[in-house]
Amino acid sequence: MSPYLGKARPRPDAAEKATGRAEYIHDIRRPGMLHAAIRFSEHAHARIKGIDTLKAERIRGVRAVITAQNTPEIRLGFLRDNVALKGEKVRQFRDEVAAVAAIDPDVAAEAAAAIEVEYEPLPALFDPASALDEGAPLVHERDAAGRPLETNLMPVHFRHSSGDITAARSAAAHAVSGEFSTPLIQQSCMGTAGALAEFDPRMNLTIWAKTQIPFLAQRDFNSALSQIGLAGRNTRVIVPALGGGFGTGLDTHCYEYIAILLAWRTGKPVKILYKRDQEFAYLSPRQSSTVRISQGCDAGGRLTFRDVHVTQDNGAYGSWGATYPSVMMIPATSLYRVPNIEFDCELVYTNNTYAQAMRGYGNPELTWALESNLDELAEAAGIDPLEIRRINCNEPGEVTPMGLRVTTCGLRECIEGVGERLGWKNKGGWGAGKKRGVGLASMVHVGGSGRIYRSDASGVILRLDDYGNLYVASGGVDMGQGLHSALQIMAADSVGVDPERVFITQTDTSTCPWDVGTHASRGAFTAGNALLMAAEKMRRQLFEAAIDLYPDLVEQARRSWIRANPDTPPADFDWRASVAPERFQLRNNLLSLRDTPPIPWLEIDLAKLIRAAHFRAGGGEMFTVEAFYDPPSELPDWERGQGNMSACYTYGTQGVEVEVDTDTGDVKIVAMVSVLDVGRVINPQALRGQIVGAIAQGVGYALYEQVITEKGRILNPNFTDYKIPTAVEIDFPLDLEYIETDEPAGPYGAKGIGEPGLTPTAPAIANAIFDAVGVRVRDLPITPERLLAALHARYDDHIPRRAPNAR
Amino acid sequence: MSSYHRPPSVAEALRLKRELPGSSFIAGGTDLLVQMKDRVRQPTALISIRHLSELTRIETDGGARLGAATPLSDLADDSALMTGWPILGEALRDFASVQIRGSATIGGNLCNGSPAADAAPALIVLGARVRIAGLDGERLLPVEQLFEAPGRTRVREEELLVSIELDPPLPSGHGVFLKKMRTAMDVSLASIASLALLRDGRLEEIRLAAGSVAPVPMRLHETEKVLRDRPLTPERIAEARRVARDEVRPITDIRAGADYRRHIVGVFVQRALEATLEKGDR
Amino acid sequence: MELNFTLNGVPISCSLPRGSELLLDVLRGPLEQTGTKEGCGKGECGACTILVEGRMVNACLTLAAEVEGCEVTTIEGLAAGGSELAAEQRAFVEQGGIQCGFCSPGMIMSVRALLDRDPDPPEAEIRRALAGNLCRCTGYSQIVEAVRRAAELRREEAR
Repeated sequence: MSPYLGKARPRPDAAEKATGRAEYIHDIRRPGMLHAAIRFSEHAHARIKGIDTLKAERIRGVRAVITAQNTPEIRLGFLRDNVALKGEKVRQFRDEVAAVAAIDPDVAAEAAAAIEVEYEPLPALFDPASALDEGAPLVHERDAAGRPLETNLMPVHFRHSSGDITAARSAAAHAVSGEFSTPLIQQSCMGTAGALAEFDPRMNLTIWAKTQIPFLAQRDFNSALSQIGLAGRNTRVIVPALGGGFGTGLDTHCYEYIAILLAWRTGKPVKILYKRDQEFAYLSPRQSSTVRISQGCDAGGRLTFRDVHVTQDNGAYGSWGATYPSVMMIPATSLYRVPNIEFDCELVYTNNTYAQAMRGYGNPELTWALESNLDELAEAAGIDPLEIRRINCNEPGEVTPMGLRVTTCGLRECIEGVGERLGWKNKGGWGAGKKRGVGLASMVHVGGSGRIYRSDASGVILRLDDYGNLYVASGGVDMGQGLHSALQIMAADSVGVDPERVFITQTDTSTCPWDVGTHASRGAFTAGNALLMAAEKMRRQLFEAAIDLYPDLVEQARRSWIRANPDTPPADFDWRASVAPERFQLRNNLLSLRDTPPIPWLEIDLAKLIRAAHFRAGGGEMFTVEAFYDPPSELPDWERGQGNMSACYTYGTQGVEVEVDTDTGDVKIVAMVSVLDVGRVINPQALRGQIVGAIAQGVGYALYEQVITEKGRILNPNFTDYKIPTAVEIDFPLDLEYIETDEPAGPYGAKGIGEPGLTPTAPAIANAIFDAVGVRVRDLPITPERLLAALHARYDDHIPRRAPNAR
Repeated sequence: MSSYHRPPSVAEALRLKRELPGSSFIAGGTDLLVQMKDRVRQPTALISIRHLSELTRIETDGGARLGAATPLSDLADDSALMTGWPILGEALRDFASVQIRGSATIGGNLCNGSPAADAAPALIVLGARVRIAGLDGERLLPVEQLFEAPGRTRVREEELLVSIELDPPLPSGHGVFLKKMRTAMDVSLASIASLALLRDGRLEEIRLAAGSVAPVPMRLHETEKVLRDRPLTPERIAEARRVARDEVRPITDIRAGADYRRHIVGVFVQRALEATLEKGDR
Repeated sequence: MELNFTLNGVPISCSLPRGSELLLDVLRGPLEQTGTKEGCGKGECGACTILVEGRMVNACLTLAAEVEGCEVTTIEGLAAGGSELAAEQRAFVEQGGIQCGFCSPGMIMSVRALLDRDPDPPEAEIRRALAGNLCRCTGYSQIVEAVRRAAELRREEAR
């Protein structure tokens, strides 16, 4: 039994953060540093006729004013459809038209405001339907290669088709369909976005970036260097304490390229920092979605078909968020057993703010529709909602229609666990004047990373110094989720050092090995696996060195022991006979031999071994090893919707009891239960933070969070009107259970758990509301106003004393 | 960019205000500084009044006199005030956050002129008056008449609201304050304050006021008419709910729709009256 | 103008060239006390919570000039001496009340003020007291537990 694994341990950087010493982008200063401000578009769609920067340039303290006219074009984005500074036209309110570097942020802001831009407004598109109308204006007239475009449909294709859906539809005993929507959501990192760019005298770039993908960012920034005539120069990406990521760091952003351009232009370090209102208005929110779904079952409740069509209002440019459907396909094809499936999607350019990824990456959007609709099917079939999920439950060993190979799967335990913990059978009671109800929803998500790129790998470098301190360098990013905590515990356990002697190297492309990025709940899974491979190498090297060095070290230790304890009787154990690489063990920085009597001098401090190896006459050695882990998964064929995208899959179920105030439409969460197949618990404290934190985001997503726009302009760019849960809202009992299925592909059997907590929350709440009052809201968030409107529509302004579906 | 001034007295503050065109008084600053950041207001000078002891005293002696620059949390901590006028405590209880309540002042909450000022409906039903000082002297104005339009009060440019004055509490009056928020730390979407005096099943006195449902915090006179001097019965309460719904003049904005706000006012009026009925004549 | 106040027990003099500088900007700028964070600048998130004369305020909505002569405590001055952690900090570390950490300094300052006022607050009171401190990572469960633990540690220390 490991002394560290599965036990609560504070994260390694907790004390630094508790004392205010952790350094975020906001806190970093460089000598001579300038501050940048961006001038954003004032139109949703307009041709830029002219930009006059003269007034701005004359403001005292301004060091540079840049526009598309006086800087090289830098293309960016998943489809290369975006440029750092817009020259020809603006396609959304937040388009970057010009930027300023100045001696302080106020001067920069003043100068940015003084820039005069002349526009010729163009007709704009604010919803996918009108963007797809014949004759609709084009958001992009040409693609990145300059080829003319004829439609606002984005050139991305994700499709899946299996079985015979037409036959299955007509044969189904029960079928229901519905349209479900989710709004734009702000990731709401407590630390706002920012970057600091600095060129060295050789014109290599260092950028401190709030990113989750330092190595893909390095590639992007190096490409930008080429575009500004610095081909062959390099970018070093340093990741400071992040202040939250939640998907905002999966792309490189225009503001980062603007900081680079200004640093290049001025020869000074340039920092750009978004204020909160800018974060709301100028940083891409989570994708919104509309999902049309129908599902059917036979008379016994067995699912026979599922038909899913997704429309995504992508906004003006493509981010990685435009690949949401790659993840939506997972629940669409593989949550519960369904033999006949259609999945397709259309992603549409509009003049709304362009959206990006957030935690769950399409899965919460799809699961919202799927699990709400499944309850409708259960009702139509007259089957208990819990029962229909049991009937169709996924099982270990199955291969789903998408080709996902399910290794371990605790979904049945999750569903049943929720039923038990929530008291499913006995609930349905009535409070005085208020209606209570219970609901549940399940989820499946990638648990062993999700391959959306050629390499899905993580590298880890381990280094032991002369004092037995272990340095772990990983290219993954700890944005608050606890990757470093998992690495600390796994490193301590797998190498055999005290966790307090484990130091996690700051994420930096110049010192850490390549990692595809921190997304898809993959950090602890992939870096953990790489770490275990590296640890194995490290121990091998240590034990090999110990063959020669251990006997002398023991001899010294024995002598000094006897000097200190002269009365010690001589040991009659021939330890020399036991010295062999496979007999060595390393625990808590102490090297010893397995299966020996408890003789104190047989335990050698690891530091002594290392120093003995270091200073060995005739050639010493250092203990640095690396490993690179690429999970056993496939890059799916997206047009066919086939491929085992992840090494394993995480399953879970959430149950919730709500109380609805039918007079005000308020929904109070009375209790929540989450049972999750986590594979194996590494650090229960970090795990709980991830699950509860995700559930809180799910509650906000379900009940009040939404970015409100009007003709492409964001109307609620602040926390007064964009509501995220406070401590007061999350006041309900939260019962968490972990199913440990011991995933063979996982480090110590663990699966990825970063995103699952959020995924089933909204449909579980909606299902409970339906149970309570018999109405279903299909558009998130379920605000009191929406729920009340639905209640009034159903009951013709008469609020029933008892809901009709009382069981 | 504003200069900062800290006058030693109200008289000096008023003189400075006249001398510095475009200047603004600042007390807690929790509204003004946000408006300055948003460039909604850009005063040339800030005249701080939060240190003036004459503006930060709470006096309770039968009635009460609240210095305008008293932070909301100081009011909530004053046991004599909270015992005598508990509805004021209800109105301040979930106002913004502890941080904001520690800085924001009662006078500032009123002078900001927000239709959503939580203190306003409570003070209106309590019949509170504000004392307004100018270089030429002082005047009293009922809180009910203080508000002109969103963001505008009847305190003139060169005047300063110095205190809020409360009559002795209504013996056996029953006060209720209810507000609707989306989450904690929110601006009210709708609020109502009710002060009722029930004797032998009849409402001898009833005062109702609502916030966030009209351009200014408003007294619900029509609803009161339905109730005053009549037996308080479930039927009467239902009627009051309907009248209140029709009486308010809410708008639709990103926080809530007008119809929803109307509906909530009706529900709250009903709940307040039901609470009074339940409490009975005691 | 010249500003004099006590910051974490140390007398400070600094100049306010404009007069209307915000305390948060003075702390983070010339005074280089970057432990206090700016999360919204408008009193909505509480990341900049500090204590002025023991009372919690948002430094982003406090004019620096207003703390003339006052005792100001920030996260850097929470622990009584040296590098030890204060009870509130220790509790947050031990109980997992910290994830990305951006809200933590402000959150911990609010906890100090809460426990100074009520050494053993019930859960509902803890949640209400922290309503002005937003956290996007933790879902608050382990934060509330950290507050309970901090209350315990403070009682132990007081003994």
